[in-house]
Amino acid sequence: MNTVPETKMNTLKEQLLESDRLLKETGHYAGLQELKNRTEDPMKYESLHTNLRSIAVEAREMARRISASPGVREVGEMVVALYTPEGDAISLSTGIMVHVHTMSRFIKWMIQNGYEEDPGIRPGDIFANNDAFIGTVHVPDVMDVMPIYYEGELIGWAGAVAHELEVGGITPGGDVYLAQERFTEGLIVSAEKVGTNDSLRRDYLTRVERNVRMPIYWILDQKAKVASCLEMREKVTELIDDVGLDYFKRTTREFIEEGRRSQLSQVQDLMVPGRYRGQNFYGHITEGKQGILPLSENANLLYSIPLELDVSSDGKMHLDFEGTGSWGYHSMNCTPAGMDGGLFVALTQSMNYEGKVNDGAWMATDMNLPEGTWTNPDSHLAATATSWSLMLPAFGIFQRLISRGFISRGFKEEAFVGQVNSPMVEMGGQSQYGDKFGMALFECAAAGSGAIGMKDGIDTGYVGWNPESDMGNIEVWEQGIPMLYMGRSISADSGGAGRNRGGTAFSSMWLVHNTDQLTIATSEHSSRVFDNAGLCGGYPAPTAHPHFAVRNTNMDQLVEEEKPLPHSLGNNPNQTDLEKYVDGDFEHVEGPYIDKPFKSGDLFAHTYNGGGGYGDPIERDPLDIARDVENGYVTMEIASNAHAVVLDYDEEKNECKVDTKATVKRREEVRQSRLNKAVPVQEWIKSERKKVMEKDFVPEVQNMYKDTLNISEKFEKEFKTFWNLPEDFTM
Amino acid sequence: MKSYDKETIQDLIDGKLPWQSTKSIMSQYKDEDRFFKYLDILQDRVHFQDQILLPIGEHLYIVAKEEKPKGERVVKCGCGHEFGHYTENWKLNAVINVREEEEEIAEIYPGRLSYDAEWMELREFFCPSCATLLEVETAVPGYPIVFDFLPYLETFYHDWLGKELPAEPASD
Repeated sequence: MNTVPETKMNTLKEQLLESDRLLKETGHYAGLQELKNRTEDPMKYESLHTNLRSIAVEAREMARRISASPGVREVGEMVVALYTPEGDAISLSTGIMVHVHTMSRFIKWMIQNGYEEDPGIRPGDIFANNDAFIGTVHVPDVMDVMPIYYEGELIGWAGAVAHELEVGGITPGGDVYLAQERFTEGLIVSAEKVGTNDSLRRDYLTRVERNVRMPIYWILDQKAKVASCLEMREKVTELIDDVGLDYFKRTTREFIEEGRRSQLSQVQDLMVPGRYRGQNFYGHITEGKQGILPLSENANLLYSIPLELDVSSDGKMHLDFEGTGSWGYHSMNCTPAGMDGGLFVALTQSMNYEGKVNDGAWMATDMNLPEGTWTNPDSHLAATATSWSLMLPAFGIFQRLISRGFISRGFKEEAFVGQVNSPMVEMGGQSQYGDKFGMALFECAAAGSGAIGMKDGIDTGYVGWNPESDMGNIEVWEQGIPMLYMGRSISADSGGAGRNRGGTAFSSMWLVHNTDQLTIATSEHSSRVFDNAGLCGGYPAPTAHPHFAVRNTNMDQLVEEEKPLPHSLGNNPNQTDLEKYVDGDFEHVEGPYIDKPFKSGDLFAHTYNGGGGYGDPIERDPLDIARDVENGYVTMEIASNAHAVVLDYDEEKNECKVDTKATVKRREEVRQSRLNKAVPVQEWIKSERKKVMEKDFVPEVQNMYKDTLNISEKFEKEFKTFWNLPEDFTM
Repeated sequence: MKSYDKETIQDLIDGKLPWQSTKSIMSQYKDEDRFFKYLDILQDRVHFQDQILLPIGEHLYIVAKEEKPKGERVVKCGCGHEFGHYTENWKLNAVINVREEEEEIAEIYPGRLSYDAEWMELREFFCPSCATLLEVETAVPGYPIVFDFLPYLETFYHDWLGKELPAEPASD
């Protein structure tokens, strides 16, 4: 009943093997079939957990004040966590919780690879990692862990992760979209001992100083992380003084076992056992862009991401990504560690948000990540710099699938259409101060969320990877980049239409300022296809918007003549305000932006993504639409076309009135028109089958099928069965 | 155990509860008796007598049929339209519209908000009787229609709710 080791075992490797054996053989973490300490003294037990959580939150907040990076200071791209000696997360702070389990992988990797013997694990050591094949999502997520000793025994690990804004890759920034192999992703630190005696090594810091474009961010972030680990170590040691080592060891493992049980019972309380299926897609456009290495056969890529979720009678969730495409020579691949992180952060927002949030939840789920696909590349040379590109859609499906369960049970307040990509602007070159610089502009951490089962999505305040979303203040970003904001505006119609509207996104427009050389490279753009859907009749949010830039502008002249200036792209979907107000050389770029450097006076605009809608849009309360139009979230055109609402809009007063009678009539007409246009699905399948037989698809679609039919027998069988294709059919 | 009255749940699922109350419910432990109260609310709203066993969407329900074959578990729209047995994909018995023409795409996704119809289909599944938009599926052309949800009904009722389902006649 009490299998937690009371005395120190010989090695960490033996402890890890024993812990894995106990979980496998008993089904309980550390073999804990009873939560003895919880039962005997629940107050003492909960008090320890609350204390540990407070320590992690406090350590993160302190670290944010040490960091120089607006990514960490403003946007909160950091997390701090406490681990068992074997590397299982006990307790964590708020922030980018995606990394709680990736860091777990990193600790376990060091143990499994004999780090106890060489390079040795001793008090005061600092280990760092940003190698995704060991345990992180991608290169910018640099993690630091330090062992915690008590009376000479390693009793846990303190760990911290921060997303670096510059990593020294082939293009500036952190999410290096142009990377096509590991060698172009930037500075990789593979499970390295980077410090001893509580201090970072001078030679390590020299390497960072000389190999990234903006070392102040990386180095101060690293010092901030070390400070947070030291803070945790000190506070945890004090706590053990109070409660005793044996109690600490046993209870922290009970927390994890409770987390595991809690996840299973949450599934049983909120969902319905069954088979849930869904899919998302991602389009990647690189044709004609400079700097693309000739490694991949195809300039443009289309990925399908099917997910089957099986919820079994014991509440265990099994996710299966069989049928998705191969990894490739691009930056969007993801490692199993990254996929673990994606699942973990989705769980913390949907089910694992109360009680014990720790690695227990992860133990109550499992995933099939087919080898050779982008979810599990069979070469560690694959680039993963922008793995969120595919990972966000992948776990966006997961959010939709579990939401179906919530809807079935009546918990519509938990049903969530899910996350989307929020493309990031990365840049580098010559700063406004005359120095070299590099920076990821992290305002992307505030996209529109998917709609919720009983309300609209969150406008400009959600991203999947950080439940504490924040776009950061304009003035703070302007200190770090040679660009001035012309404006930051709600992007009308960027939320998916639905009875509950998807959250809207925003767009920013900048004037390049005081520089002769500013390279901009953006990432995580799904072009041509939606990267998440709507739910229950709601429409998906529009896919990633194109980029608009103007070079050699007449801005100086416009300012001098006091003429109107562009501050946003405007609400006309067919003409931007740039075209309306400015003269110059116009660029309209689809997908990730990469081009020659900008200089002072040029203009650049970038739009983030909104979330998908929920429910039939013509069921939306017309008064809500009137409010949306008045507030600039929805245009009159979409109000009329998608929501079938007739409005009387006084532009001068910005007042919208609903013509109720006309709206009822219009909605009835829309229903009739739907039936006139729609055809029985069986008929549609017959006509579509012809297209499939004739392979009447554009090359990117054909290539996607060639790849997925080749890599997955299961998908091949399903595809052929659905379309009733001959056995010898090939794409 | 948390429990709310039927009116509160009704307002909650309709989005009519004041936000502070909604937020408070979201932050509390869940009410374990929600499911059957929810079924009661939905049963009052539908235009048929068949017992709702499980909602599977905004207007879609797995029901036990009153008419013959009595007890058969089929998917029904709230208006009463029947889509076939719940173990089969209801979408195959719906009507569909795929927006292909530029003008039709621009109704929802105008100008720079558009997608590429050669890369992506927006499949709108409607109820053939009441024309409610039941689901919008996004798919690459040629992608099989997805069967969203196959609940393990027996397990759910017997093991999770501790109740028995109304008997279903044996299929031929």
